[in-house]
Amino acid sequence: MTQNEGMSLRDAAPRSGRPTRLHSAVFQPIGDEGRTALVERRIAEAIMGGVLAAGERLPAETELAAAFGVAPATAREALMALRGRGLIVTRRGRSGGSFIADSADPIKFASRALLESSRVGLRDAAQHYLAITAACVELAARRADVSEVAMIRARLERGDAALVGENNVSHRHSHDRDVAAWRRASDDAMIEIAALSQSARLTREQMKLQGEFSPLFALVDTHAPSRAASRARLIELLSAVSASDGDAATRALSDGVRLAVDWLITYRDEHLAASILPIAVVTAQPTAPRSERIPT
Amino acid sequence: MTTHHAASQTPSPTHADAGQAAALVTEYFARAIDALADWKVALAANIATLRGQAPLTTASLDTIVEPAALRLFDTVALPIYGAGFIAALDSLADANSHLAWWQGPDRARLVLAAQSVNKEHIDYSELEWYRVPLATGEAHVAGPYVDYLCSDEYTITVASPVHIDGQFVGAVALDLLIDRVERDLTPRLSALGGDISIVNGVGRVLLSTSAARATGDTIRGDDLNGFERYACTGMALEVLIPRG
Repeated sequence: MTQNEGMSLRDAAPRSGRPTRLHSAVFQPIGDEGRTALVERRIAEAIMGGVLAAGERLPAETELAAAFGVAPATAREALMALRGRGLIVTRRGRSGGSFIADSADPIKFASRALLESSRVGLRDAAQHYLAITAACVELAARRADVSEVAMIRARLERGDAALVGENNVSHRHSHDRDVAAWRRASDDAMIEIAALSQSARLTREQMKLQGEFSPLFALVDTHAPSRAASRARLIELLSAVSASDGDAATRALSDGVRLAVDWLITYRDEHLAASILPIAVVTAQPTAPRSERIPT
Repeated sequence: MTTHHAASQTPSPTHADAGQAAALVTEYFARAIDALADWKVALAANIATLRGQAPLTTASLDTIVEPAALRLFDTVALPIYGAGFIAALDSLADANSHLAWWQGPDRARLVLAAQSVNKEHIDYSELEWYRVPLATGEAHVAGPYVDYLCSDEYTITVASPVHIDGQFVGAVALDLLIDRVERDLTPRLSALGGDISIVNGVGRVLLSTSAARATGDTIRGDDLNGFERYACTGMALEVLIPRG
């Protein structure tokens, strides 16, 4: 194609006249985020979301490169960047390799992200989560077979079993692990319900949002009464889907989300109040970036 | 849903049409079942030999599964999206679970993040494509379902159990995207005339020639009384035609 054949961006417009909003969206900047940055971000998000836990070993560079479908040099650069951010450490020797840093605590990451967010941003994100998840739940209630919901419920209760002995405070470490196991079981259950919608698009979207929200839900889980309440809503949701009651299912869902978001906002306000900065310093600060980058 | 649309212009399909529809659907999925039946004999022999030499690992399994899985794409007259072998849980020396699986336009090896990074146990014991062949010892047409583990698409998985000396060692399987199955089968069913729907074991619509019935919807309970049902031999699928 010769150059003058291409359409000019400035007057890119459908034949009918003025450019539509969708039309101009086509020419939004794509950004020049390279493959290295993509790999780095993917792993960083997994670490901060608690999918990759402290002390876990990452696959070797070549294995990682194969998994992501990138060149080994790209994987190496991404690992270097993660090391620079303090998210992973590299040990030499026979049992060496790259490991998730011991300081990587998803609850701390979630807490920091929450303090950096705004109320309006959090509520809007929650609304998005709710809209997509409710659409899944409603379809699932119409389409799921009782046996399919029963299997999700059974798996959830197995993830839950770990928490039964939670009064035993002397084993704090194992309690933390059990809370994390509950979060994973609960995330899985939500994704499995979404899949019962029989909509691939909605399920993919829901999985993305579940991944985004999971660290924040995990923060809520640290508060036992809130965890118990959200668990009750989830069980209610499953029963409603099983009974083909879409209204009751979406009600249980939105109750659960509201509960979590209200708790998060209270948590945020309390912690912000505790660490309030002099006004002069606050105004001198640039707007908090939404980036997850950790100061090193 | 109980809403029944006004009778379609075309007359209800006859018993003969329904029988033809069932035969057509059966023949289509039997291509997968037959190909898997051929493959699993060879694979069982391969695995037995391999196990005799050293404990079976994910890598050694991948090596013997890959060429045969890739060959399926080219030799079976079906729009195969993915193919491979799912190891029986706790049957390998270096992992609790493993999918030796190739999929997508590039037929790329499936790498599950949880498995490669976390070395996490992927529990597929309850998923239909593993659970049913294990329980029945027979090939199974699983789905339609949203496959959030492998393809991320609305999928049908045909799976067949592999045994060595009566012991279950895993399942050979292939994925078909509903999008493609619909394109293959709907025109042929429409040619028979009238309102024909294919449903699975829980009454979920795989496809229908009627615009009123959406793939993914479930026909169950009293709603089923409005249909004549014809089984597809050797698979948990049925042809439904409205009672005249």
